[in-house]
This record gives sequence, C-alpha cells and structure tokens, in this order.
Amino acid sequence: MSTTTKGLKLADILTTIVIAVIFGIIYKIWGPVYDFVKVFGFHLDQLIYGMWFIAASVAYLLIRKPGVALLAEIAASSGELIMGSEWGLEVLIYGVIQGLLAEVVFAAFRYKRFDVLVVSLGAIGATIGSLVMDFYKGYIEALAPWNLALFLIARFVGAVVISGFFAVSLVKALEKTGVTQMLRPASKEDYDALDR
Amino acid sequence: MKWNIRYRETWLHQTNPSLKLIVLLFLFLAVLFIHNPNVLINFSLALLLLFMFSTGYPWKFLLLLFLPFLLIFVSTASSMMMFGEGETTWFRWGLIHVTEESFLRGLHIGFRALSFALLGLLFSLTTRPVRLFYSLMQQLKLKPKYAYSFLAAVRLLPIMLEEFQTVHNALKVRGTVSHGWLEKMKRYAIPLLSQSIRRAQRIAVAMEAKRFSSSTERTFYYEIGFNKHDIALVALFAFVAAAAYYTGVHYPYIPVTDVR
Repeated sequence: MSTTTKGLKLADILTTIVIAVIFGIIYKIWGPVYDFVKVFGFHLDQLIYGMWFIAASVAYLLIRKPGVALLAEIAASSGELIMGSEWGLEVLIYGVIQGLLAEVVFAAFRYKRFDVLVVSLGAIGATIGSLVMDFYKGYIEALAPWNLALFLIARFVGAVVISGFFAVSLVKALEKTGVTQMLRPASKEDYDALDR
Repeated sequence: MKWNIRYRETWLHQTNPSLKLIVLLFLFLAVLFIHNPNVLINFSLALLLLFMFSTGYPWKFLLLLFLPFLLIFVSTASSMMMFGEGETTWFRWGLIHVTEESFLRGLHIGFRALSFALLGLLFSLTTRPVRLFYSLMQQLKLKPKYAYSFLAAVRLLPIMLEEFQTVHNALKVRGTVSHGWLEKMKRYAIPLLSQSIRRAQRIAVAMEAKRFSSSTERTFYYEIGFNKHDIALVALFAFVAAAAYYTGVHYPYIPVTDVR
C-alpha cells in the first residue's frame, strides 16, 4: 500500500464522486416519491427519508477511507442541486451536515469496522444532522408531542433500514461483481495471504 | 445543468459563481433566522420576480419548473398547520387540530421552503458547472483533484443515463418478475454502480497520468474574475433584504411578528 500522498488520491475522489452522482440522481427522483408518500399523512414519508443518507454509507463501505462519507454526501447533494432540486440550496447544507455527522461516527470507530452496526450508527448520525436543520427550518419542536414522536421514530427507523441494512446488502452484492477489489486499500489479511 | 432549452444569457450568468454561491448561502442562513412572516413573504416575492425576469429562460419552462414548488409549499405547510401546537382553535377533527398559531407557522414554513427553492433555482439556472468549478479553484482555492473529479463526474452523467436506459430495456426483454421495490432498485443499482466504478478507475488513471492531481502552480484554461455584475449582485440583494425587512415591519399583511 503506497502512502506517498496525503489524504485521498484522485482515484478515490473520482470514484466517490461518480458513485455519489448516481445517488444524486436517485436523491432527485426521491423528491417526488417523498411528496407522493406524504399525501398519506401521519409522517409515513419519514420512513423513506433515510434514502438521502445512503451515499455516505455506500461510499464508506466501498472505499473504506477517511473523508469519503462526507465527500459522497456533499457530491450527491450538489449533484441534486445542479440538476435543479425542488428544495434548492437547502439540499447542499443538509448534505454537508448529514455527511459530517455520519463521518464523525465512522471516525469514532477509527475507520476499522465496516458492518451493519457501524453503518446504521452512521445513518443515525446523519439523521441527527437532518433533524438539527429541521429544528431551525421547520420548527418541528412545535408539533404536538405524539406527532413529533411519530415523526422522529419514523425517520430513525427508515434511516437504519435504508442507509444501514439496505446499504450493506447493496455493497455485498457489489462485492460479488469484483469491482470492490480495485477500490480498497490492501488489508492485513491480504498481506498475510502473501506470506502463506 | 445543461438543459436542452434555449435561454438568453442574463447578467446573473456573468457574475462570479463563487461569489454568487456565497451570497446565496448567506441569504439561505439569513432566511433561517427570519421569524416574521411579513418579512419572509416580501423576500419570497422579490426572489420570485428575479426568478421570472432574470434567469433568461422561456416562460413555459419556468412555469414547469415552478409546479413542484407549489407542491412543496402545500406539503410543507400542511403538516404543521394540522398537527402543530397552538391555543386559538379554528378547527378540530379527530387528531387534526388547526389553530391560528399553527396555521401561521405552517404558512411561514411554506414560504420559507419556497424561498429556499427559489434561491437554489436562481443558482442552478444561471451557473454552468464548468465556470463554477473553475471559479472554486481560482477564488476559493478548492484543490484541483476535487474540482476536476466533479467536472469529470458531470460529464459522465449522460453515459449513466444511457446505461440506465439499457438496463431498463434489458430487464424488460427478459421479463423479470417483480420482487418488491428494494429488490428492483438493486437490479438497477448493481450494474450501474459497478460499471461506473470501473469507468471511474480508468479515467482516474488517465487523469493522474496527465497530472490533474497535482496542485502546484496550475494555469487555467478559463480565467474567472470579477466584473461589474458582481457589484450589482451584492447591491441588489442588500437592497432586497433591506426593503423586505422595512416593508415587512412597517406595512405588515398579517398582524403577527413572530411565529414561534
């Protein structure tokens, strides 16, 4: 493993951004889906809110380096912005905060664990980021208590299911295609395999 | 975004993209701290005027873009109106409880969502990605490896859309049975992601060979600086903000100054 350059290499950055842009398209499509579900009321829409955190989880699981979760979330949200999101500039700020809090969680595990638990915790971090913004923007604390509780539970559950469990299963499927081998830095097991 | 739509270059296109981004982000943060609905309504109307007359796009297209915003306005406002807390009851039906306070708060949030959307559209309609990233490198010292990666990714978008169409057709021809929407998403996501990762790796090797990753002493094909339009941009928004505040406080539509 060459560590001549500090931080991320161009290959890591480009791959992260390209993946993120794909999720940016999904984020954009997710807007109308979210509005459609919203019509049913009772915060059912919050169950699918977690899709907007998935770029961070997937990029982290794929590339496994510090900073990619934040970069992915920023890239996905700016992709969404450039495509003309109906939420406008808001998505960029949400993206930065969500990515930052997911990154904090991954950093807390020192970028050494890549399982459902860590990614789910990352998704919860991102959710908290989105809630901080909602608190300022949408006065969510002024909802009736039962309604606020429903709102919060739905968002957290949705985030863990989509950006935790689904993200892991997506990356597992990608591993079978073999593309992940060119992304990840060589691990200790790889070196051990050479000695055998 | 490059729309295949004919548009006129307006003065907003010629402003410095980094400056425009900073000004608009600043306004975004300012809107978060407006709690007086009168000020916010004035501000949103001013943005709407700019959107209509200064983006240089045809009316039909602007109207089409504007439709989803109305939906956002309604959906954002309605849940606060129906479930928000308040004292002066207007209407109660089961769990739905509309009060004067929650109604006004809902209205305020609706206008806030509207002004965010307009700020975003003003930016994305009048900024071309190439100018934006060149400007970010020159004015805000964004590292070239990040900026060029973004630009490369933007260029890959059409290829990705084409691939999406191919996968879609392939699945149709094979007559796949539906296994729920998560499974369906995977069927699209796996080929798209794996192909894109491979492509990104190849492009990255080529870009590194061409020294796109080095950041020492670069020269740029596009030199992006400042001009008179930038002064106009700052002056205009300073005026709009001041005017919205003044008229909102002195000539209110609604006798409420704080929705919290």
